[in-house]
Amino acid sequence: MASGQIDIETIKAMLGLCDEDLVKPLPIPTKWSKPFWEAALQHKLVLKKCSKCGNIDHPPYMYCTACMADDHEWVEASGKGTLAAYAINIFGVPFPFWADLPYVVALIDLAEGPRMISNIVECDHDRLENGMELEVVFDDVTDEVTLPKWRPVDESRRG
Amino acid sequence: MGIGEFAIIGTGEVPCGNYPERSEFEVAYSVARMAIQDSGLDKNDIGAVLCAQHIMSNPDNDYNTEMVFGRLPEAIGAKGCKVTCMTSSGGASSYSIRKTAEGILRSGEADTVLVVHAQRFTQFTPNEQAKYFSIAGSDVEWEVPYGMTFNSLAAMITQGYMNYTGTTIEQIAAVCVACRKWAMLQPNAMFNHKEITVDKVVNARMVSYPLTTLMCNVLGDGGSAFIMTTAEKARKVCDRPVYFLGEGSNYSHRTITRGDVKDLDQMTTFTAPIAKEAYERSGLGPEDMDIYEIYGSYPVVNLMVMDSLGFVEPGKSGALVEAGETSPGGKYPCSTNGEAMSFGHSGTGVGFAMLVESVRQLQGKAGAAQVEGARFLIENCGGGAFMDCHFAVMGNEIPG
Repeated sequence: MASGQIDIETIKAMLGLCDEDLVKPLPIPTKWSKPFWEAALQHKLVLKKCSKCGNIDHPPYMYCTACMADDHEWVEASGKGTLAAYAINIFGVPFPFWADLPYVVALIDLAEGPRMISNIVECDHDRLENGMELEVVFDDVTDEVTLPKWRPVDESRRG
Repeated sequence: MGIGEFAIIGTGEVPCGNYPERSEFEVAYSVARMAIQDSGLDKNDIGAVLCAQHIMSNPDNDYNTEMVFGRLPEAIGAKGCKVTCMTSSGGASSYSIRKTAEGILRSGEADTVLVVHAQRFTQFTPNEQAKYFSIAGSDVEWEVPYGMTFNSLAAMITQGYMNYTGTTIEQIAAVCVACRKWAMLQPNAMFNHKEITVDKVVNARMVSYPLTTLMCNVLGDGGSAFIMTTAEKARKVCDRPVYFLGEGSNYSHRTITRGDVKDLDQMTTFTAPIAKEAYERSGLGPEDMDIYEIYGSYPVVNLMVMDSLGFVEPGKSGALVEAGETSPGGKYPCSTNGEAMSFGHSGTGVGFAMLVESVRQLQGKAGAAQVEGARFLIENCGGGAFMDCHFAVMGNEIPG
C-alpha cells in the first residue's frame, strides 16, 4: 500500500502551521473517567462497573447508564479482545498524526463486553483480519498519559 | 400524528461548492427570498423564521449568534414574524428543525414557517477545518487521541460491512458513480461537470483503507430554504403542496462504540424498523415509492439505508446499485441530487438539500433530474457519527 506521503514539513510551510498545530491531542479526563487514565498509567486496563446492577459502562459516565446509581467499582479487565472492524489511515488525517501514517484505527470488542476505539500496533497490515484475537499493550505517550492500544495475540501476525 | 397534516409549498437553493466571497448571510437572505417567491406567498405572511446552525463559528461575525438573536426576520423584512430560533442536530437538522416548525404550526401561533440553512466553510483555514472535523465526528477523550477521523469511522464501517455481507469494493464505488450520474443533472451540485467510473473511484488516492478520496464526501459552501405550512393552508395557496405522510425516528449513540447494534452487517435491525414505521404511518409501502432520497454521506451508509427500505434483501444493495438500478433511468431512483458525495457536504445542509430535492421532485420542478410522474417518495437523514436515523414518506397527494 503505497502512501505517496507529503512531508509534514512541506505541509507546515504551505499552510503556515505552528509547532502547536502539530501537538497530538491527549485525553482530558473527566471526574468520572480519571480512574481509567490513572490505571492506564500503571499499565492496567480498568472498567467502571455499577455496584448496584453490575452494568459496565465504557466510556464511563457520571452515573450508571443502566440504573442511574452512583456506586461503582473499577474492575481490572482481562486485556483480551477481538477485532470487529478496522481502517488503515493513509492520508488526510489531522496534522499531528501525519508522521504516524500509515496507522490502524480499529473497533475492538473487549472480552468483558464493551467496545473501544484504539490503534492496532505491532501488526503486519496485510495480516489484519476481522475477528482476530487481540491483547492490550500500553503506550506511554507522555509522562502523564498512557494510551491502551492493541496487538495481535498471534505472534505470526506481528509486523 | 395525522397523515398529511403539514406541507412544504416552496423551496430555494444556491449552488454548493467553494464560494469564499459569498457570505453565509448572503446565502441565508438569498435562499429565504427564493423560497418565499417560489411559494407565491407574501413575505409578511411568514409567522416564524427558523435557522439551522452554521457548522463552525467565526468569532468576528458569528452567524449563529446573529441568527439566534433575530437577524434573519429583520434582514428579509418578515414583518409578520412572531417566533424565531435556531435548531440543530448536525446532519439530522433538516428533521429536527422541521419538527420545531411543526410544533409552532400546531400551537396555532403561526401558520407559515420559513426554514433556512446557510454554510460557508471557505472562511476557515484548512487547519481550522481539519481541527473541527477531527472532533466533530469522534469522541475527544476516547477516540481523537488515537488519530480517529470521520473518514476512518466510515472506513471502518465499510470494512466491516464488506467483510460481513460480501459486498465488493466495486459495489461501494458504484454508489459514488450513481450519485455522480444524478449530480450531472443538477445545476446546484458541486460536482456536475465530469462523470466518474467504478475504476476511477477504486483507483483514486487511498485516504483511509478501504476508502479512496472519491468515496469520501467533500465539504462545500451552500444553503437552502423551504416554506412549511399546515395542509389546510397549503391547499388554499399552492397548486402543488408536498405533504408529510408518515415518519419514523430513532437515536442510537454519540460514540460508535456504544451503538445500539453491534454487528456491522445487522445495522438494518436499527434502521429497518424506523422505515417500517414511516411506511405504516403513511399507509404506503416500499412498492409505492417512486424515489428513495437516502442521505448517506459515505457510500456504505447509502447501502445500509437501502438495505432497510424494503425493496432489496439486506446486504444485497451493492449488487442493485452496481446494476444501475438506483441511477437515472433505473427502477429504484436513489438520492437524486447526487447526495453529499457529489452534491457536496454543506455541514448541517446535506439533509436540507435532500429535503428540498424531494419537494422539487414531487412538485415536478426537478428539471433534468425529474423522475417522471413521481407521486410518493421516502426521504432520510441522520447526524453525528451515525447517531440517529429519520425517515419521512412524502407525497404530492394524500393517499385515500
